[in-house]
Amino acid sequence: MSEQSFLTKMLTETALTRRSFLKWSAALGGTAALAGGVRAGLKAVEKASAASEGEWITAACWHNCGGRCLLKAHVVDGVVTRIKSDDFSEENDNMTQLKACTRGHAKRQQIFGADRLKYPMKRKNWEPGGGKKELRGKDEWVRISWDEALDIVASETKRIKETYGNKAILSPVGNGALNLSAWPVGRMLSLYGGFTAIWGTTSWGALPLPGNRMQGVDVGGVHDRMSVRQSKLIVLWGANPVWSSAGNPTYHYMIAKKAGAKFIVVDPFYTPTAATLADQWIPCRPSTDAALLIGMAYHMITNGLQDQEFLDKYTVGFDADHMPEGADPKENFKDYVLGTFDGIPKTPEWASEICGTPADLIRSFAEEVSITKPTAFITGYAPARTNRGEQFIQAFYTVGWMTGNVGEPGAMVGVSCKERAGDTGPLAPALVYAGDPGVPAVENPICNYGFPGPPASATDWHGFVWNEAWEAVVTGEFTASVRGKQPCDIRMIWNIGDMSSLNQLPNVNQGIEAFRKVEFVVSADSYLTTPCKYADVVLPVTTMWERWGGIMNSNTYHSSRRDIFIYHRQITEPLFEAKDDIWIEAEIGKRLGLDPKVIDPVPYKQMVFNMLAGAQVVKEDGLEFENLLTITADDIARLGVDGTPQQGRITYKELEEKGLYQVPRKPGDKLGLIYFEDFRKDPVANPLNTKTGKLQIHSQSLADDVTDYGWTKLPPIPQYIPPPEGVEATRDGEFPLQLYSIHYMRRSHSTYDSVPWLREAFPQELFMNNLDAEARGLKTGDMVLITSPHGKALRPVFVTPRIMPGVVTMGEGAWVERDDETGIDKAGATNSLNGTNPCGQGVQPWNTNIAQVTRWEGQPLLPDAQWPQRVVFGKDA
Amino acid sequence: MNTREWALVVFTILTQMSVGAFLVLGVVHFFVSRKAGIEEADHMSDRALVAVIITLGLGMLASLLHLGNPMNAPKAILNIASSWLSREILLGVIFAVIAVVFVAMQWFKIGTSSLRNVIAWIAAIVGIALVYSQAEIYMLVTQPSWNTFATPISFFTTTLLLGVLAIGAALVTNYVIYQSRNPESVEIQYDLLRGTIRWIAIASVILLGIELIVLPVYLALLSTGGAAALASLGMIAGKYNLVFILRILLGFTGAGALTIFIFRNASIVNKKRFVTLHAFIAFGLVLIAEVLGRFIFYATQFKIGV
Amino acid sequence: MAKQLAFYIDTSACTACKACQIACKDKNSLPVGLLWRRVYQYQGGDWMPHPNQPNIKSPVSMFAYSVSISCMHCQNPLCVTNCPTGAMHKRDDGVVLINADLCIGCRYCEWSCPYSAPQYNAELEVMTKCDFCQDLLAKGEPPACVAACPTRALNYGELEELQKQHGGLAAIEPLPVSNITNPSVVITPHKNAQPSGRGTGHVANLPEEI
Repeated sequence: MSEQSFLTKMLTETALTRRSFLKWSAALGGTAALAGGVRAGLKAVEKASAASEGEWITAACWHNCGGRCLLKAHVVDGVVTRIKSDDFSEENDNMTQLKACTRGHAKRQQIFGADRLKYPMKRKNWEPGGGKKELRGKDEWVRISWDEALDIVASETKRIKETYGNKAILSPVGNGALNLSAWPVGRMLSLYGGFTAIWGTTSWGALPLPGNRMQGVDVGGVHDRMSVRQSKLIVLWGANPVWSSAGNPTYHYMIAKKAGAKFIVVDPFYTPTAATLADQWIPCRPSTDAALLIGMAYHMITNGLQDQEFLDKYTVGFDADHMPEGADPKENFKDYVLGTFDGIPKTPEWASEICGTPADLIRSFAEEVSITKPTAFITGYAPARTNRGEQFIQAFYTVGWMTGNVGEPGAMVGVSCKERAGDTGPLAPALVYAGDPGVPAVENPICNYGFPGPPASATDWHGFVWNEAWEAVVTGEFTASVRGKQPCDIRMIWNIGDMSSLNQLPNVNQGIEAFRKVEFVVSADSYLTTPCKYADVVLPVTTMWERWGGIMNSNTYHSSRRDIFIYHRQITEPLFEAKDDIWIEAEIGKRLGLDPKVIDPVPYKQMVFNMLAGAQVVKEDGLEFENLLTITADDIARLGVDGTPQQGRITYKELEEKGLYQVPRKPGDKLGLIYFEDFRKDPVANPLNTKTGKLQIHSQSLADDVTDYGWTKLPPIPQYIPPPEGVEATRDGEFPLQLYSIHYMRRSHSTYDSVPWLREAFPQELFMNNLDAEARGLKTGDMVLITSPHGKALRPVFVTPRIMPGVVTMGEGAWVERDDETGIDKAGATNSLNGTNPCGQGVQPWNTNIAQVTRWEGQPLLPDAQWPQRVVFGKDA
Repeated sequence: MNTREWALVVFTILTQMSVGAFLVLGVVHFFVSRKAGIEEADHMSDRALVAVIITLGLGMLASLLHLGNPMNAPKAILNIASSWLSREILLGVIFAVIAVVFVAMQWFKIGTSSLRNVIAWIAAIVGIALVYSQAEIYMLVTQPSWNTFATPISFFTTTLLLGVLAIGAALVTNYVIYQSRNPESVEIQYDLLRGTIRWIAIASVILLGIELIVLPVYLALLSTGGAAALASLGMIAGKYNLVFILRILLGFTGAGALTIFIFRNASIVNKKRFVTLHAFIAFGLVLIAEVLGRFIFYATQFKIGV
Repeated sequence: MAKQLAFYIDTSACTACKACQIACKDKNSLPVGLLWRRVYQYQGGDWMPHPNQPNIKSPVSMFAYSVSISCMHCQNPLCVTNCPTGAMHKRDDGVVLINADLCIGCRYCEWSCPYSAPQYNAELEVMTKCDFCQDLLAKGEPPACVAACPTRALNYGELEELQKQHGGLAAIEPLPVSNITNPSVVITPHKNAQPSGRGTGHVANLPEEI
């Protein structure tokens, strides 16, 4: 049996029962399994793995988790028998193995899942122009040929462009779990005249603009892991790397703990990170972090704990004597904190009422961060993904700078989470990076902005901020910063390009309304994700395991460390009729009269080769770079690509075999990174990229720009202003709980949510404090109805003292299962509960929501792991 | 509780009932032969013996339902060196074989009566060992709700209680269907029956009394036996409290029906119908009570550890 | 003492990420419902009004930690003692294994084991359990769970060696006291670990997780 037909057979035989699941599992171990029945099957697994050595091939694990870990697939006679992560090399604290996380280890069940999309298909009642649009999401599917599918997509795209113009096409993609980081999403549509895009800060929340104006770097400030290890105190503010940056970052922090660092974790939830690392937990309600910080500042100022010398020399805006030019001296931070002009001293007690943290704890925490040097004052993105999140960032930097921990080994204030958590931040320069794939860029003439968004003053765009997208489709109006409200008319939603938009943008209920309003919806994915479920035409896409190979390097923003380079290879032929998205775009473009050579100018394999050949690695001096790879004429001939032989640090063969290159690191080498080191040494000679060249506690341009975006007015200094749907809103009664959304171990955003092994391990529970549960007569495992002003969801409750009273949380990204009649989402997607509330610089305030939780008296749900998967066509389709 | 655990309830109740019935029948036969001769004793008990064998067979069939892989069942005696479960299965098989041999010899009157007696004695001893091994199975250090003195006591009281009452019912049936149509011995048989039933009633009341004393002591033990034992107790007092109360009520009612019989036996006019009715009511009520008791035994187990 | 392989669990480093559990399921192709390795979350504590601020609540004695276990390959394995067929047996290196050809699926081992290590596979109709990845051991490789652990909280080795390195602790809550079966395990306790049988917390997992 050939590899493809075997895999195909294996998949088609996978129905929903456990018996057949076992058959499938057994089949993965050896081809004898299917013939011999289940019992013989398992024995066959043992025999196969004992008999044949097989090969470990480096496999892609490419999702939007921030981790880039080494994953190897064990392939025996064309069948993947198991997954292993990095235990191939000796390791020490400087050269750690790149262990994959829980999710990576479930990859085999994900890639070969029974719920893989197998064929192109259309909605039964679809007709050109729509056809019973209200049936989107519940219509039957009809299998169609690729030709028919591509013809439908091309003709509808053409009709809509010609009737309404390119602006009528909304493509809410571009920030997802990129299948191929070298490929610009929306390339074909851009060449066809462009499309209405979505933009926003997404994960980064309110970080970029305050970072840019206050310290001259959007996101940064945290040194590399060698330097983090020198900290005596590490504060992790709203960061839970165990779940959100699973894989290696937690281990880096553990090395720092072993080196003697004390950890303080600030979070509404005593997270797994806190349980593992924290010496102390500071509970703080969601969206109130600014109040906590300002309360700390009060204690520091009134006790002279701040590093005044540092503030005077390196910052502006702290007190009336050190204001930026043109600013009102009364608008200084110190006087705001003391209440000099507004008559409200921002005492720890004042803060405590807002953030729920006991005042004495605020005081002792303030003392500890002020006295301990060097301290790493580190935040994740989460507290910034709030309504009025800018005020948190302003306060965080300000209080951090008040401790003087800037620009010295072990002393830092900044953002470090997700990619490179505990080891610099997302924008830190890499020590090894891939070359250019060689595909010339194409601009989207309608909206060439995506992440984090257009400048406040720009007017050259027609696009929607993420959390206003569905509202814009439904109401025909969108917010266009300085231009105010602008009209729009969306007739088509184009979901080709790898993002589960309908699932991952706030307010799913409005999203479904939007999907059912437009004339045509096309979606492409490897699974029947939520936007596929509500589409007219669905196209099956290959996973990275089915493509020629690729690179997960550290020059893209999704990379776990700045000193690693992963080269993954093809593991299996494409499953069923799945095609890669470049082919799909080129085929549609061809039908629209575009030249396929312009859409897809460089063959995929050549793109990967270009990235390999151009890969650069830093030399020992930390300044110069050299080729990573020695490539021979033989290599080029064997790969069948165009290229010239070159000299580099390691051979292509070695990289192909190991899949991983790590830049050698040791403490004291010249490859470390200390943010603002030069500035600290001489602020005059090395000014920052800010208006004054100093750290700006006061920034008028920040305030002005945020205001220009059109949603929120922001003061130029940190202040606490209650956000809508914040803790203050819970005091009215109807929605007495704060709800926020966490990254959850079961998934990377929405990716992996359908994998049964992961569903079993992480049941998508609602975390609730024991006092709140007692008041409702709830115990762990009870079914609860979660109601917010925007939607309803059903989930089992997990009762725990680990979360603050009055606060509930749930993992984001569950695949929406909404009942049209009741509006209840039984999957518990947080976006079914979250409102839109656009704010700040185009921020999605996922962590600022309110809710009520009541006992569910209806039919209880089966555990998610026992739900049927979204399998459209089985064996005989 | 699932099918598998119900299979265990049926298996243990039926095997214990048949062991008990076999023992009781031996005692009855012994006294009746002394009083009225072996022939009358055989008339009275031979059919009941066959019923015992049928009950035992059904019980052993039920045990197979509890296995995931019954085809492998014969291998279950491989570990008699350390496993009480192996020992139980071996003893069950030996008991069944000897009992069948004995019943066949008794039915067809093969061999001398003393030879048959010897075989019956061997079967009786194996039967007692079988019930003991069943109790030992549950004396697991990891199962505090089972690992108490109450398990062997209740297994043996079940054995004897259901044994005597089943025999009472069997003798009555035998009398009503067969012996009452035999004019030669109808009066002798009735007298024998009445006397036997009286002793059966007394024995039952005593056994039920033992059960009702053991129960509160058992509950008290659970209350001091650690977290797992408390969890079991919680299930008895909570989820299964109605079953538990019903089990006690039925036990009392069964005992009550018998007590009334014992005291009013002599003065009743239509004795036959009354004896028959009471023998069946008592057996039925107590059988249900014992099944419920055994159900609770399995349903409220709670293992220590994780 | 005879050769005895054992697992090492550093509960101070365990994040409850369950990579071990998934690696086990992948290595052994286990269906949903069978968890040869699983992670118990143990937690406790409460929230009380703060003494100085009655309207602010603060956590009291709040703690949480997790314990990842599979089969403990006990030195006194009750499953082996009680198995009627001898399907459950202990190998020379101390690994406890099931011979599926002998198993009758009576589940007596399940009742006997205080760690829920033997688990019934309803499809195969036999008991199954952790075999210490015997095929990998034979090749000199670590068990899949050990190899997978992102925080290096799991390890394995000779029991005596592990005890020399890490001490003799073989039980913390929520595991049972160790004198029932003498588990072949060495535990480094989390800073909040509580002694077996005397804990103030509870197992927090939802039923389907364990």
